[in-house]
Order: sequence, then C-alpha cells, then structure tokens
Amino acid sequence: MGKRRASFLSYKASFTFIVFVILVVFFSFFTPNHTFVGSNNIGALGKLIPDLGIISLGVGILMIAGEFDMSVASIIPVSSFVFINLLAWNVPLIITFILTLMVGIALGTINGFLVVKTGIPSFIATLGTMMFWKGVVFAASRMMPIGLRAYLEPGSTLENVLTGTIGGYFPLQFLWFLIISIVLLLFLHIHKFGNWIYVTGDNKNAARAMGINTDMVKIVSYVLVGFLCSFMSVMQTLRIESFTATQGSGYGLKAIASAVVGGTSLTGGVGSLPGILLGTLTIQILENGLILLGAPVFGINAFIGAGIVIFAILNVLAERFRTR
Amino acid sequence: MAEYIVQMVDIHKWFGKVYALRGVDFNVGFNEIVGLVGDNGAGKSTLIKILSGYHIADRGEIYFNGEKVNIQTPKDAKKLGIETVYQEQALAPHVSISRNVFMGREPSKFLGFIDKKKMDNDSLNVLTDLGLKIKDPNLVVETLSGGQRQGVAIARVLYFKAKLVILDEPTIALSVKESQQVMEFMKQLRSEGISVIFITHNIYHAFQISDRFVILSHGEKLADVRKEETSLDELISLITSGKSKSEV
Repeated sequence: MGKRRASFLSYKASFTFIVFVILVVFFSFFTPNHTFVGSNNIGALGKLIPDLGIISLGVGILMIAGEFDMSVASIIPVSSFVFINLLAWNVPLIITFILTLMVGIALGTINGFLVVKTGIPSFIATLGTMMFWKGVVFAASRMMPIGLRAYLEPGSTLENVLTGTIGGYFPLQFLWFLIISIVLLLFLHIHKFGNWIYVTGDNKNAARAMGINTDMVKIVSYVLVGFLCSFMSVMQTLRIESFTATQGSGYGLKAIASAVVGGTSLTGGVGSLPGILLGTLTIQILENGLILLGAPVFGINAFIGAGIVIFAILNVLAERFRTR
Repeated sequence: MAEYIVQMVDIHKWFGKVYALRGVDFNVGFNEIVGLVGDNGAGKSTLIKILSGYHIADRGEIYFNGEKVNIQTPKDAKKLGIETVYQEQALAPHVSISRNVFMGREPSKFLGFIDKKKMDNDSLNVLTDLGLKIKDPNLVVETLSGGQRQGVAIARVLYFKAKLVILDEPTIALSVKESQQVMEFMKQLRSEGISVIFITHNIYHAFQISDRFVILSHGEKLADVRKEETSLDELISLITSGKSKSEV
C-alpha cells in the first residue's frame, strides 16, 4: 500500500492540473488566430469564470461536508429578482444589496435545516427546494425579464466596486473571486472549522463522538452556498443589466461537475479548495476553447458532458494505477 | 482515596421484555486492566454503554472516584474522563493522523486558526510514547494498518488525559502481530496511570494482558477473579459451562 499524504493537492487534482495545462496549450495554439489567448478573450474569461467559480467553491465545500445542493440554480434567480424589485421600490442600493445577500443566507438556512432535521438525502431535499423556488420566481416574474437600467443609473459605487475594472482592463469580478477563494482556502485548510467540515463528511459518527456539532457544520455549509449564490447573482445582474427567470440554470450540476473534476469525492471527506478552483477553470476553459474552435454553440453541452465523463474515467484509471 | 475508579452496583437493564442485565456489580481499580469477557448477548456492551452514557440503567448506582455520579449522556461520561474507543467510529479515514488525533479539539493560537506545528509535534510525540513508529503525522489514516489505526485512536485518549478507557473489541479483525501491538498500547495506558476495560471475545488476548477478569453470561456476572487466582483453563471452562465458580 502506498503512503499517501494529505496534501493541499491530492493526486486527483494534480492529475486535473496536467489536463488543464494541456488544454490551455492546445487552445492557445489551435484556436483561429490564437484568439484563446487574445486580450479580448482573456478579458471575457475574467468576467465569466467568477460566475460559475464562486458557486463551485461553495458547492464543493458542501460536498466535502458530505451533502449536495441542487437548489443553487433557483437561489440565483430568486436573488436577482429580489435585487431588482427592491430597487424598483426605491430601496437604497446598499440596503438592497445587503437584503439580497440575506435572501441567499435565508434560503441556504432553510436547505440546511431541511436536510439536517429531516434526514432526507440532501439531493432530494434540495431538488425539492430548487423546484419550489423556481416555481415561485417563475410565477412572480411571469417569466418576463426585467431591465436593471430603469431602476439603477450606470456608475453607482456598488457597480464600480463589484463589476468595474482596474486600469480599464482587469475585471473586478475576478478580484472578488480571488478574494473569496483565499478566504475560503484559509477557512477550509487551516481553520478549525475546516477540519470539522472534513471529518463531518468523512465519518459523521466519529466527528459526533468527538463532540463536533455535525448538524451545525452542515447548516453553516448550506448558508455559505446560499450567500455565495446571492453574491454572484448580484454581480451577474449588474453585468448583464437585467433579471431573467432562467438565470443560473444548470449551475447546480455544473458546480458539482467542477468540484468532481477537481478531485472532490461524491461521498464526502475528500477534496481541496485548489482542486475545486482547478476543476472550475478546466470546465470553463474547455467550454470557451471549444466555442472558439467553432464547435456549435447550442450543442456545447454535449462536448462538456463528454469531457466530464472522460475526466471521471481518467480519475478512476489514475486511482487504480496509484493503488496497484 | 477511593479503592476503585469506577464502581457499578446492582445494575439492571430491560429492553422491552428482554432482561439484559440482572443486577451486575462491576468495579475497575486504579491502574488496572480489566478483561470483560463473555459470549454474544452476555450483556458486555449493554453494561459498557451504561457506563459511557449511551444507555441509562433501569436500576443501580455508579460511583466514580468514590462519588456517586449520574451519567445520562456520552458527554457526562467524557467529562468524568471515561473514553470509549470503537474501531469503526473513532477515525476519519481520509483525513491526516494529526487532524484525527485532535479532531474537535484542534489547538489554536489565533481566531480558531489551527496551530499546525503543535498539532503535528504533539501527535507525533504521543504516538512515539505509545511505541508506534510513524514518521509523518500528515499521512492519511486510510494508509495505516489496523493496529496503527487503533494506535491513533488510543493516542487521542492518552493525549487528552482520560482516566478510564473502554476498548470495545480492539483486536477483532487484526492480525496476530497487530493484536500484540494493540495490547502493548494497553500496557502503555496502564503505565500512564489510565485504567482500561478490555472487552473481547478472545480469552487468549484477555488472559495475556488483563489484571482481572469479569465474565458475564446471560446478563449475570459469572466470575470476577484476579489473574493470579485463576488459570486460562479455568476461565475457558467457566465461559463454556456458563456456570459460576461455586457451582462448578
């Protein structure tokens, strides 16, 4: 049996790193006129990557704690809907922002209590809340998009801080993404609470026997996911300047895929923050590069899906190779 | 000072219509390893679960250090310094050794951030005290042998100064060599002034290490003998006949 160290990058994630590098090199050389590394594309990636990235960080940490959240795809449009409507009622921008974050926290708390107190598998519980909130937001908005500009002039402080640029080029979304990543990295890997997340996901009975409140650990993880969803939703709404009822659709599963590609286990206790980051970057770069290569845009999911399965197979092979 | 660290007096327990414990007296001395042996269904786990707070006795009293105590929850037992080590429930397999030793009690110097140096050094020291040769506290527990895993779980109770450690079938599913290693750990605990209750099916293991033997059968105590007053053959005949010493 090989001696395996619990290091920041598990072998699985370092394997993903190799694929990530190969993809970057491949797309840099083979996209027409090397558009992949062109400044326009890099700028666009800098704005796009944080969207799924921020969600994946939360979902990945929750998976390490041993649970799923399918409802992110509904927390995102609910937050966006609340944000624009509060502005429409002339609530001051900063209060609107804070209240929107509270909505995400509240929805996360509901998920957490539902999963912990009922003991229903989290996949089912959050599938339920996903459909419930989706129904609520569809009915409330009648599926009509709402433009942001009717209620918010361009150039507000919040907008400049969340979605502005540094030096007219570096998107602040990406800076926020980095800040959140670093905070969560410290939280997960060198804070007590991070250890509680790992042991709760790995062996709940052991964690309980050692006096860790595993219910609290899981609820906090759900609250984190809800908070990150509403934060990202505000950023996205400011960027696309409107609410759409289908905002964030598909993010639930894509975030899980990102975490898994980054070496996170589906059964809890295994994963790392750098791994989750790498997984998100890999999936987003795969999508972006394929589009630049001229893959049909509406069929792009077929490629991403195939890519995820290939990743999973490679991970299994790598695991077998390692333990042989 | 009290004569015993733990005295359980006239313990009765019913589960519905099943009379699981029929007035058992059970004592553990200071610096003593007590082998608690008996067949399946003899009442060993029920007795121990009452002591560790997972069950509550229907009748009977428990004294700890000479004082009457009321153990209602596992937390109450832990507060007294009674720790139970279950093989499957003790460790998180994908997490490192040091993070397992300090699970739930991570040392911190600043705002809850883990003092990793202290955690690594201290877990390495306590493992060395136990006689476990492990060089890297960052290894994940999954890579350890069964005996070494028991060692990690025992290191935890040693480090956090338990007074009485209950080991529930610690040698089950272990190789001969690993079982010997686990019994060395028990000796180490005793030499650190910690009393041990060693629950086992394996009378050979129990005989090798225990200072005293308590044999349970069908919810009653069959025998309570010191090692120097008995022999392996006598213990085996007691267990297989299911009759107490006076009856034999």
